Amino acid sequence: MKKQKNPYKLTALPAWAATLALLAWLVYDGAVKSGYSWEWSRIPAFFFDADKGELGPLTLGLGLTFQITFWSLLITFGLGLFIALARLAGGTVLSALARIYLEVIRNTPLLVQILVMYSVVGEIFSLSRFWAAVLAVSFFEAAYLSEIIRSGILAVGEGQWQAAWCLGLSTPDTFRRVILPQTGPMLLPPLCSLVISLIKDSALVSVIGVYELTKAARSLIAKTYLALELWLTIAVVYLLINLAVSELGAFLERRLGASGRAGRFL
Amino acid sequence: MTGGDFISVERIYKTYDSGLAALKGVSLTVRRGETLVIVGPSGSGKSTLLRCLCGLEEIDAGAVVIDGQVVSGDARLRDKMRPELGLVFQSFNLFPHLTVMENITLAPVRVRRVKAAEAEKAAGRLLEKVGLADKAGARPAQLSGGQQQRVAIARALAMNPRVMLFDEVTSALDPEMIGEVLAVMKDLAAEGLTMVVVTHEMGFAREVGEAVVFMDGGEVVERAAPAARFFDQPATDRARQFLEKIF
Repeated sequence: MKKQKNPYKLTALPAWAATLALLAWLVYDGAVKSGYSWEWSRIPAFFFDADKGELGPLTLGLGLTFQITFWSLLITFGLGLFIALARLAGGTVLSALARIYLEVIRNTPLLVQILVMYSVVGEIFSLSRFWAAVLAVSFFEAAYLSEIIRSGILAVGEGQWQAAWCLGLSTPDTFRRVILPQTGPMLLPPLCSLVISLIKDSALVSVIGVYELTKAARSLIAKTYLALELWLTIAVVYLLINLAVSELGAFLERRLGASGRAGRFL
Repeated sequence: MTGGDFISVERIYKTYDSGLAALKGVSLTVRRGETLVIVGPSGSGKSTLLRCLCGLEEIDAGAVVIDGQVVSGDARLRDKMRPELGLVFQSFNLFPHLTVMENITLAPVRVRRVKAAEAEKAAGRLLEKVGLADKAGARPAQLSGGQQQRVAIARALAMNPRVMLFDEVTSALDPEMIGEVLAVMKDLAAEGLTMVVVTHEMGFAREVGEAVVFMDGGEVVERAAPAARFFDQPATDRARQFLEKIF
């Protein structure tokens, strides 16, 4: 079948190039008009110091950002699934607790949660800065994830539950074998957004002195005053990481055949 | 082979949360090996009755007795009895992410703890029986409605239930597919499986039903055996009016 071309759709590459060029020009023009003098040449050394032959603070910070992301994702998925299932067990103490958790976490700023986790919870359980950061980010994202998972579970038709029930399947088996496999493909786009949010939100843990990417950039700015260069640099780093996550998500969607269903009609 | 009562329903009541009184003191019995057909106008409570039998719906009053045990109101016993009643739905309710083979073997392996290889062998025989031996690897979405419903029957049979409940299983099918599903059910009835069949297929009811229960307005109006007697000489005016509207 011949593919119909949408005249308003730009092919990907020129669209990206045009957008990025516009952005670059805006930043450049803004800086010129405010009399900013660029010193881009100093930036590469912050990633890798060729003279000393060692990794620079930005690379080390990036490494820590990856570590925070890795552990937070693990905890977020476990906790988010648990909260979602607890919420679904309607009318129980567990579901009430899950609801309270959700509302408290979702309706207070992450920044405050990080500070509380570090200076209150962290003190009590003598958590390191790193683990206080990981737990704060995990608890925050898990609240959102639980709602994503819950909506996915609710989207599976009642008939599936009834069929599983009539066959005698246990509740755990019903979830594991029947319900969750059906929610997976549906949840990919919001899950992808969640992972991206988590990576960006991890920047906030810089307030408790965890030297991840953003904190590394901030302390470099304090030393070198290269504010615009450094902020733009880490913005690009975050952008590249998250584009990779987006692409991975899109790839999985294609693999699971979840995308392209509506495309024909648009 | 017919024996004593396998299921006995004693004056059960069911009112939905919406306030709709679906069952108003229904009593009936199903004998071992019997094919009982339940007919009646839409909204007469036929489907609700089936769903109360297998425990999908809780009853408000009365008792459901299966194999001599009162299962209503006893969650433990109810759970133990679940695999013994095979329900086939109007809307098939196959698991769309699983293949036909996986749909059939899931419950035997997980609930009855049958070995996977054995379950597959048994599933293969069942697929042959419903005429779909070549579809083991297909997904439900690749099958026609009639084929899906036959898989659903095979899936329920795979648990070796002691009674099969059919809830308007041909109502969602295109006309040309109704016959293939009814044929499978006819075979099962001939094998002496205990069956309760809610249906609008009066030809099938007449031919296969060893007994007929006519429901209307949440009540059992009439019971007749053999089924032909109900269709030839209905004993009540309500049944007569119902049959007149159909034929």
